[in-house]
Amino acid sequence: MKENTMDVKCCMYKQNRLYEKLKNAVIDMDEEEAGKTAEEIVSSGADIPKAVEYGLVGGMDVVAKYYDEETYFIPEVLMCADAMYAGMAPLKKAMPVSAETGQHVIVIGSVFGDTHDIGKNIVALFLEGSGFKVINLGRDVAPEVFVDAAEKYNADIIVISTLMTTTMWGMKDVIEMLKVRGLRDRVKVMVGGKPLSLNFAKKIGADGYSHDAKAAVALAKKLIYEDYSLQK
Amino acid sequence: MSKDVFSPKERLLRVLNKQEVERQPVICPGGMMNSAIVDIMNKTGHVLPEAHHTPELMSALARDVNEYTGFENFGVPFCMTVEAEVLGSDINFGTLRCEPKIQKEAFDAVSQVEFKPLGSMEKSSRVGSVVQSIYMLSRKYPDIPAIGSITGPLSTAASIVDPMPFLKQLRKDKENAHKVIDYVTDHLLEYAQLMIDNGASVISIADPTATGEILGPKMFEEYAVKYLNKLVDGIHSMGVPAIIHICGKMEAVKPLVAQLHGDALSVDAFVNLKNIKENYNDVTTMGNLSTIMLEQSDTESIRKRAEMLIHDNINILAPACGLSTTTPLENISAFTETVKLQ
Repeated sequence: MKENTMDVKCCMYKQNRLYEKLKNAVIDMDEEEAGKTAEEIVSSGADIPKAVEYGLVGGMDVVAKYYDEETYFIPEVLMCADAMYAGMAPLKKAMPVSAETGQHVIVIGSVFGDTHDIGKNIVALFLEGSGFKVINLGRDVAPEVFVDAAEKYNADIIVISTLMTTTMWGMKDVIEMLKVRGLRDRVKVMVGGKPLSLNFAKKIGADGYSHDAKAAVALAKKLIYEDYSLQK
Repeated sequence: MSKDVFSPKERLLRVLNKQEVERQPVICPGGMMNSAIVDIMNKTGHVLPEAHHTPELMSALARDVNEYTGFENFGVPFCMTVEAEVLGSDINFGTLRCEPKIQKEAFDAVSQVEFKPLGSMEKSSRVGSVVQSIYMLSRKYPDIPAIGSITGPLSTAASIVDPMPFLKQLRKDKENAHKVIDYVTDHLLEYAQLMIDNGASVISIADPTATGEILGPKMFEEYAVKYLNKLVDGIHSMGVPAIIHICGKMEAVKPLVAQLHGDALSVDAFVNLKNIKENYNDVTTMGNLSTIMLEQSDTESIRKRAEMLIHDNINILAPACGLSTTTPLENISAFTETVKLQ
C-alpha cells in the first residue's frame, strides 16, 4: 500500500514535470521540444486534458503576459504559437472525445475588403490559447462566410477585425445578416481593430469591443459566461 | 489670409533643412497618407481606381486634392502597392472608396523569394505613371512641392512575403530576412531615384510594418532602423530630404527614433509629439491630427486641435495616419485653413 502511494506520487511528479516542460517549450518558442514533450506525455499515459491545460494554456498564458508587458512582441508570440501547435497535434490525437465537447466556439476573421490580419491572428491565438475552439476564417471575409461558419460550427461568438477605416462599416453587414438568418440571438458579435472605438461598436449593434488581444480574451469570457452585451 | 513669405515648396524644404520659416507648412504626403477623398473625386470626376494607372489622371487628381483640401503639396501615388506589384505580388486595385491592397503576397517565406534584377522599377507601367505624374506636376507648378511617397523596406518586404511567416522569420531565418529586406531597399532606392530625377522635391517613407508595437525594440533596431537609414542615406545622396512615418505606439522604441536619419519624423495620433520634441531636440516633428477626428468630428474641434499642435511648435502639420476616403472635405479645410491663418 505504502509503495503504491509512492508510485502514484512519483508518477504525478513525473507528469507535472512533463507539463512544466511543455509549458516552458511554449514560452521558449521551442517547436521541436514542444512536439517531443507532447509525444512523451501521450506515451506516458498522462492526463491529456491536464497537459493541455497546464502545458499549452498555461504556457500561452505566460506568453500573453509577456506580450502585455512588452517583453514579447509579435514575432515572439507567433513563434510561441507555433510551439503551442506543435504540442497540440499529438495531444489532440490522443484527446478523449468527451473533453472536446462543451468547448465554446469562436469564429474569427478580418472584415470583407481588408487583407490585414496580423492583429486578428494574435487575438485568435490568445483565444485558442485560453481554451476556446477557434475557427479562423482568414482575411477579406464576406459576411455570408462569417454567418455560414457560425451556423455550421454552432459558434458562441463571431469576432470581426479591421485595420482600415474604409472597411469598418462592413462589420455591420455581418450583424445584419445574422438578424436576417435568425441567428442574432444565439451568436454574440465582438469587434476590434485600430480605427474602431467602443462607440462605433455600439453604433453598429455589436455586443462588445476590445482594444487589444488581452482584453479580447477577457471580453469573450464575459460575453459567454456573464451574457454581457453593449446593446443591453 | 496671412502674409506668406515663402512659397509652399520653399517653406517645406526650409523646415526639413531646419531653417526658420514664417509659419508651419500643412501637408499630406500621399501613399499611405492618401487624401484623395470621395468628396473631391465626385466633384471633379478624376477618380480612383482609374487614376492609379494613368499619369494624366493621377496628376489631375493630385492637383484636385491640393486645390480643394488646401494641403500645400502634391502627393503621389495614392496607395502603397506599387513597389510590391513590381516585385511580384498580386494587387487588388480597390474602388473609388477603397484603397488598393495586396491580394496575395508573391512568396510564403523569405527563403523562397526570387530576386528580380535591378532596373525592374523602371520597366513597370505603374512606376511610369507615378514618375510621369511627378514630372508633369513639378513642371507645371514649380512652387508646390511634389512629394514622392514610398512604402518602407519592411512593409514592402512584408507585402511580397506573407506577413505571418515573414514576422517569424525575422527571428528564425535572419540571414534570408536580411537578404530580402536589403534587396527590397535597393529597388526602393531605384524608385526614389526615378521620382527625384523627374522632379520630386521630397521623398516620404511610410513603413507601417516597422512599428515598435509589432517588432519590439530589438528587432526595430536590427531591421527597421538599419534599412530605413540605408534608404534615407541613399535619398540624401540624391540631394533630396526624406520624411519617415512610423505607425503605432512608440513607447517601446522611443529612444531609437533619434537614430533614424530622416529629416522629419511623422507619427500616429496617440503619440505625444511635444514630448518627443522635448526629449530629442534635433528631431523635426510632423503630424499628427487624428484621422478619426478628421472623419468623425466637427470643424470646431478640428480647429482647436490644430491650434494646439501649432502652439506645441510641431514643425510640419499633417494628418496622423491614412485618411479615410469618406472624410468630409470641410473638416480637412478647417485643418489646413487654421494652419494658414496663424
